Amino acid sequence: MSKSNLFINGSEGDKAIVLGNEAIARGALEAGIGYASMYPGTPASEIIAVLDKNKKHVENLYTEFSLNEHISLHGAIGASWSGIRSLCAMKNVGLNVASEPAQFLAYTGVKAGLVLAIGSDPGAPSSSNEQDDRWYSLHNYMPIMEPSNIQEAKDFTKDAFDVSEEFSFGIVLMAPSRLCHNAGALRFGNIRDRKNIKGDFKKDPENYLNLFSLAVKNHAKYLERNELLKKYLIESKFNKTINDGSSKIGFISSGVIYAHLMEAFDILGVYDHKILKLGFSFPISNELIKRFFEGIEKVVIVEEAEGFLEFQIKKIAYETGFKGSIYGKEFFSRTGELTLDDVISGVSRFLEKPLPASFDFAVEKDKELSNKLPQRSGTFCIGCPHRATFYSILKAVGFSNTEEKERDVVIAGDIGCYTLGLLPPYNAMDFLTCMNAGLSIGQAISNFDKSKKVIALVGDSTFYHSGIPVLLNAVQNGANILYIILDNSWTAMTGHQKTPSTQKDIDGKPSANVLNLKDLIKSLGVSYVKSLDPNSVKRFSAQIKSALKEPGVKVLIAKRECVLQEIRRNKSMLKNEAKVAETGESLYEIQKSRCVKCNECFVELACPAIILKKDEDTGGDYYYIDPASCVKCGVCYEICPNSAIRKVEFDLKSEFKLKKGLSEVTV
Amino acid sequence: MKKFNIAIIGLGGQGIITMGTVMKNAALNSDLQDVSGSERRGGAQREGYVETFVKYIFYENAAEMNSPRKNMHSPMIESGGANALISLEPLETLRGIKYLNKNSIVIFNKTPYIPISVRMGKTKYPEISFIVSELQKVTKHIYYYDIDAISLEKFNSLTQKNIIALGILFAKADIPIERSAVESVLAEGKGAENNLKAFALGLNL
Repeated sequence: MSKSNLFINGSEGDKAIVLGNEAIARGALEAGIGYASMYPGTPASEIIAVLDKNKKHVENLYTEFSLNEHISLHGAIGASWSGIRSLCAMKNVGLNVASEPAQFLAYTGVKAGLVLAIGSDPGAPSSSNEQDDRWYSLHNYMPIMEPSNIQEAKDFTKDAFDVSEEFSFGIVLMAPSRLCHNAGALRFGNIRDRKNIKGDFKKDPENYLNLFSLAVKNHAKYLERNELLKKYLIESKFNKTINDGSSKIGFISSGVIYAHLMEAFDILGVYDHKILKLGFSFPISNELIKRFFEGIEKVVIVEEAEGFLEFQIKKIAYETGFKGSIYGKEFFSRTGELTLDDVISGVSRFLEKPLPASFDFAVEKDKELSNKLPQRSGTFCIGCPHRATFYSILKAVGFSNTEEKERDVVIAGDIGCYTLGLLPPYNAMDFLTCMNAGLSIGQAISNFDKSKKVIALVGDSTFYHSGIPVLLNAVQNGANILYIILDNSWTAMTGHQKTPSTQKDIDGKPSANVLNLKDLIKSLGVSYVKSLDPNSVKRFSAQIKSALKEPGVKVLIAKRECVLQEIRRNKSMLKNEAKVAETGESLYEIQKSRCVKCNECFVELACPAIILKKDEDTGGDYYYIDPASCVKCGVCYEICPNSAIRKVEFDLKSEFKLKKGLSEVTV
Repeated sequence: MKKFNIAIIGLGGQGIITMGTVMKNAALNSDLQDVSGSERRGGAQREGYVETFVKYIFYENAAEMNSPRKNMHSPMIESGGANALISLEPLETLRGIKYLNKNSIVIFNKTPYIPISVRMGKTKYPEISFIVSELQKVTKHIYYYDIDAISLEKFNSLTQKNIIALGILFAKADIPIERSAVESVLAEGKGAENNLKAFALGLNL
C-alpha cells in the first residue's frame, strides 16, 4: 500500500492496489471493529499484521498476536460480548485448535458482530495439510461467506458484521491463499465513526451459560436462527443467479473458484449457461436451490477439495425432488489446488468444447519438460541459525550426505521455518503433522522402541503455542527424549511476529515482558537444560552427543536470533545513528589452493552463499563464497576440515572509500 | 474487453513480488480498467519458487464492466495465456514455459542459482543453450541478459535487478500502460533514485 496510507485514511472514491488479506482487514475497519487478533499462519497473517502495524493511527483499536488460536477466538468472543465488533483470523489448521470456542459460539451467540477470517491453503504450499474448514460448519453452524475477488473480500467482510449481529452467529469468512495473496484494485468505502467504540459487558445468563438443560435450550435456539438465516439467504444480495441464456445446464460455484469459472467460460467462449454464485456456502437454502433447478436438466458443481457444496446440494436435490443429474467431483479434482487450468479443462470436458490450441500446446510442453528439470525446494536463509542447528544434530548422530551414512536416531519434526530441515540435503525429520505433535508422538516412540534414541524439535513460537503441556507430560511420565527448542526469538515464518522470547524489537527497543525460557523449563521439572548458540556448531554438536547419553527428558535451547531480524535491526540502527560502526569489518573466503572440495560446506552445510564458479584458466569448477550474499555468520569457517576458509579483516573506513571510488568509476 | 497478462517468476528474495506490485500500481488511472493477479509466496523460505501474475483488464464500456459474465477474473493466468514472461532465474524460465504462446515475449536473467538437488550431484543444471532452444520451440521473442552482473556493476548490489528487468520489459514488449506511470510509482517508493536509474538502464539494454 502506498505512501498516503489509504488503508487507514481512504474513503469512498479512493482506489488502491491491496492484497486480499488487507482488503479483509479494511472491510473490518470500515465495519468499525475494535478488536483484532490471530495466531500467525500463512496465508492469513497479513490480515491482522496490517491492522497491528497501523493501530497507533486508528482510534480505539486493540490488536493482539495471541499465543494460539484457541485463545485468539476466545478473545474475539469476549470482545463481542463486551459490545465490540471483533475480527479473529487464522490459517485453516488453526480452526482445529480453535474448534472448541467455535463449537460453543452458536450456542451462546454474539453481541457485537464477530467475524472469523480463515486462510485456507489448497495444494498446501505453506501448510501440513489441505483441510477444508467448511466442513466444520455442518456441526458448529457457523455461516460461511466466500468472497470471489479483492473487492468482495472487503465488501463481504464489512457486511458479515451486520449478518453476524442480525442472526447472532460468528461468521466465517473463507479465503484460500489465491485470494489472501491476490493483489489488485480495491475501491474503498467509508469507515464507521470510531469515537464511540467502548466496551459494555452486559450479563446475559440465558445465552452465555451453557450447562445441562441450558445447553439443550441454546441448541434449539441456534437451530432456529439457522432456519431464519436460510430464509434471509433466498433473496439476499450475496447469492447471485445469472439466467440470461437458453441452456438447460446450470453451474454452481463459490469463492475464487467462481472467478476461475467465469474466466474459463470467457476463454472457452461459452456464455449461455445458468450460473449460481453462492456468496454463502453455508447454510444453503432449499428454496434458493429449488428455484435455480427450474428449467435445468444437468447441474455442475465447480469447487475445490472434497465437495462441500456438492454434499449439501445433492441432499437438497433429494429433498426438493429434483429429477435432473448433478455432477461435480467427476470433473474437478478432490486433491491439490483447483487452478484456472483445472477449471478450464473440467468445463471443456463436461461441455465437450475444444480447448484453445495455445492452451493444449502449453500444457503438453510443460508435461514434456517438467520431468527433465531439476526440482527446486526452499531452504534456510543465508546465515539462518537453523541451518547450523541441523548441521550440528546430523553431525552428532553420524549422518553424512557425502559419505552416504544414515542416522539411527529418530527425529521428530514440528511446524515453523525449521520444518524446511525435512528437505534435502538434511532430510532431518521422520514425521511431521501438526503443531507440537513432535514431542508427544516422539515420547511414545521412545517408550515402545527402546533401541532408538529420539530427538524432538520445536521452535519458540510453536513451543509457546501449546508445547508447555506436552513437555510437562513428558516430565510427568518419565519420558526418555532429547527436546531441542530452536529459539530464534520470533514467529519468523509468518513475517516475524513477536513471541515471549523476543528480546528487542526491530528498532532496538527492549520488549516489555521477556520470558526466561531456561527458567521456565527448569520450573517444569526438567533438570537437564542448557542454552547454546547453534552457530558454534562444534560445541553444540558435542552437547547433543552427550545429552543423548543421558536418561530422562533433556532440553537444549538453540538460542540465536533470526538472522533477518538481526540484519534489519543493524541496518535501521546504522541509519538512525547516521554513522558507520567504528569496528573492523571482515569477510570469509575460500582459498582455492587449499580447498579439496570435500563438500563439507557445499553439500553438508549447504549454505547458498557458497557457490560453484567456473575457473577461467583451467576450465574446471571451484567453490566460492559470494560476498554479495554472505552475511558472515562464520559457520563454514568453523567447519572446514582443511582450514581452506579464511577470515579477512580489513579497515571498514578505507574499504568504504575504496568501494565509493570504484562505483564512481563504473557508473 | 482486452486483457494483458504478465507472469513474473523467480526465487524467494529476488524481488518478484515487488515487481508485480509496481506494475499493478502503475495501472490505477482509468475507471474502465481492472487489475488483479495472485502471488505464490510460500513461507519465508529462500530460494524457493515464487511467481506473481499481473493481469490488466480493459473494458470497452461501462455496460461490459458491469456485466457479471465479463467482470469477474481469475487471479491466475492460464496455460498459454501470458503476453509476457519475466524470469529472474534461467532454470525457472522453463518452469514458466507453460504460460507461453507463440506471441509471448520472454525476458530472462541468465545468472543461475543452483538448486540443492544439483548441489548434491543428483541432477544436472541445464545449459543456457538448452533453455533457449526449448523456449524457441514456443516463441521467437526471447531476450536474456546477465542481470545480476549488470546490477552488481552499476549499483554494487543485486537489489536493483528486478527493476532493471522491468525496464527491459518496457523496451521489448508493447505494454498497454504508460512508462511514465511506472516511473511515478518508482519515484514515490523506497530507493527511488536507484530504482529510476535501474529502470532507465533496463530500457536501454
